[in-house]
Amino acid sequence: MIVKSPLHDIHEKLGAKFTEFSGFKMPIYYSSIKNEHITVRKKVGLFDVSHMSNIWIFGEDAEKLISLSTIEDASKIKNEMSQYTAILREDGTIIDDIIFMHLNDKYMMIPNAGMSEKITQWLRNIAKENNLAVNVNDVSRDYTILAIQGPESRNTLQKLTDTDLNKIGFFGCSYIEIAGRECIISHTGYTGELGFELQINNKEHPESLFNKIILEGNEYNIIPIGLGARDTLRLEKSFLLAGNEFKGGRTPLEALLNWAINWDHDFIGKESLIKQKEIGNYERLTNLICLENGIPRNGCEVQKDGLKVGIVTSGTLSPCLNKGIAMAYIKPEYRETHNVLDIIIRGKKIKAKVTKPPFVKKDWAILK
Amino acid sequence: MVKEIRDDLKYTDSHEWIKVEEEKVIIGITDHAQSELTDIVFAELPVIGKEIKKGDELCVVESVKSVSEINSPISGKIINVNEKLEDNPEIINKKPYDEGWLVEIKIANIKEINDLLEPEEYKKLIE
Repeated sequence: MIVKSPLHDIHEKLGAKFTEFSGFKMPIYYSSIKNEHITVRKKVGLFDVSHMSNIWIFGEDAEKLISLSTIEDASKIKNEMSQYTAILREDGTIIDDIIFMHLNDKYMMIPNAGMSEKITQWLRNIAKENNLAVNVNDVSRDYTILAIQGPESRNTLQKLTDTDLNKIGFFGCSYIEIAGRECIISHTGYTGELGFELQINNKEHPESLFNKIILEGNEYNIIPIGLGARDTLRLEKSFLLAGNEFKGGRTPLEALLNWAINWDHDFIGKESLIKQKEIGNYERLTNLICLENGIPRNGCEVQKDGLKVGIVTSGTLSPCLNKGIAMAYIKPEYRETHNVLDIIIRGKKIKAKVTKPPFVKKDWAILK
Repeated sequence: MVKEIRDDLKYTDSHEWIKVEEEKVIIGITDHAQSELTDIVFAELPVIGKEIKKGDELCVVESVKSVSEINSPISGKIINVNEKLEDNPEIINKKPYDEGWLVEIKIANIKEINDLLEPEEYKKLIE
């Protein structure tokens, strides 16, 4: 079954082209991917990301459950703060990467699109096995999620609320009233720009909120943004896409999420990660920027002197840099910065250089 | 927006246009096709001199998110390619019927021309 967003009719009226993504019919673009991409970097854009999942976790042992099932120690995450982390299998491979928000006595977890049932079941099983007093409720279909991203995102949203948005720090989160509706706001995003994400219960009329934000953002040249630009924006910042970067079983060490691992607590998959670290010789996610014309895509082989040394998981033309960029899992001995490798695109070798993340630095639009 | 269809061209159901001159054809993609693809960012063209059969892959046009193969509507020999597209593939979006042409082919079998769509037929197809 294909699920439509609660905002589907609005997208149709705005002339969106649609795509199917993890069981959801969502806008891929409204005007053009390039235009939408550059608008988010320079101005502000509004995304419907209702395909993402929402799970409430509450009860005496909620913190324990999150700590045990993610690479983060939830006791370190203060009230009204959110955290990016990952849920692992026993073998250390990533099931999903998520954000969880600490909202007073509850946690809201945001897994990826189409993952709500799987994650809910997984968490409930862990709770049961460990005798934890906790409720795990999948409320994905009750919520609309909006992301407002870009240098003018705060100015736009500030017009609709009395809460001083400057007081919500990076990764801060809280309940908030926006245009008379109760929402959950977090200072988070998937674009690398200043931005916020809003969780709105569908009873609070998210469709009129969407329209209001577009209206109020008009003075900052706001436009609606589809999943196409969402993907190119995140790739320029070297953010991971679950369906691409974790497919086939990858650990957080391979996916370069070392920074997100809190080693001082016990979690599922920890033993496997310790072993992998000791052995050491594993492929790691690597940024490649093309030195010749060509656009790498998911599945392209990476070679050195005709030998396979890795595989591309995400690739695109970077709208900001106007060059082909890719993330690829590369054998450790070939991924030193400035190393030149060949990406095989339709049988042709396209030279690409290993570079440090992100592809597009902070404040690109200002410095340009 | 109404998409332009030119009366002096022939078409395919896969949205290429074909301009038939005496012994050769010029091939491009239609206004409808470029608008569906949006933001063409890369065009991979064939080598001049290559013999190609009808239905073979002629070139590849990429937008930011998609890769589209264009199959040859005609058999023959590649006699010219639009080298401007190498640095400026967006011309295909801007001028699909003029500066945005893709390749010229020397016709091997003139009868294949009869299989192409007339402007009226193509118009019905995209309506």
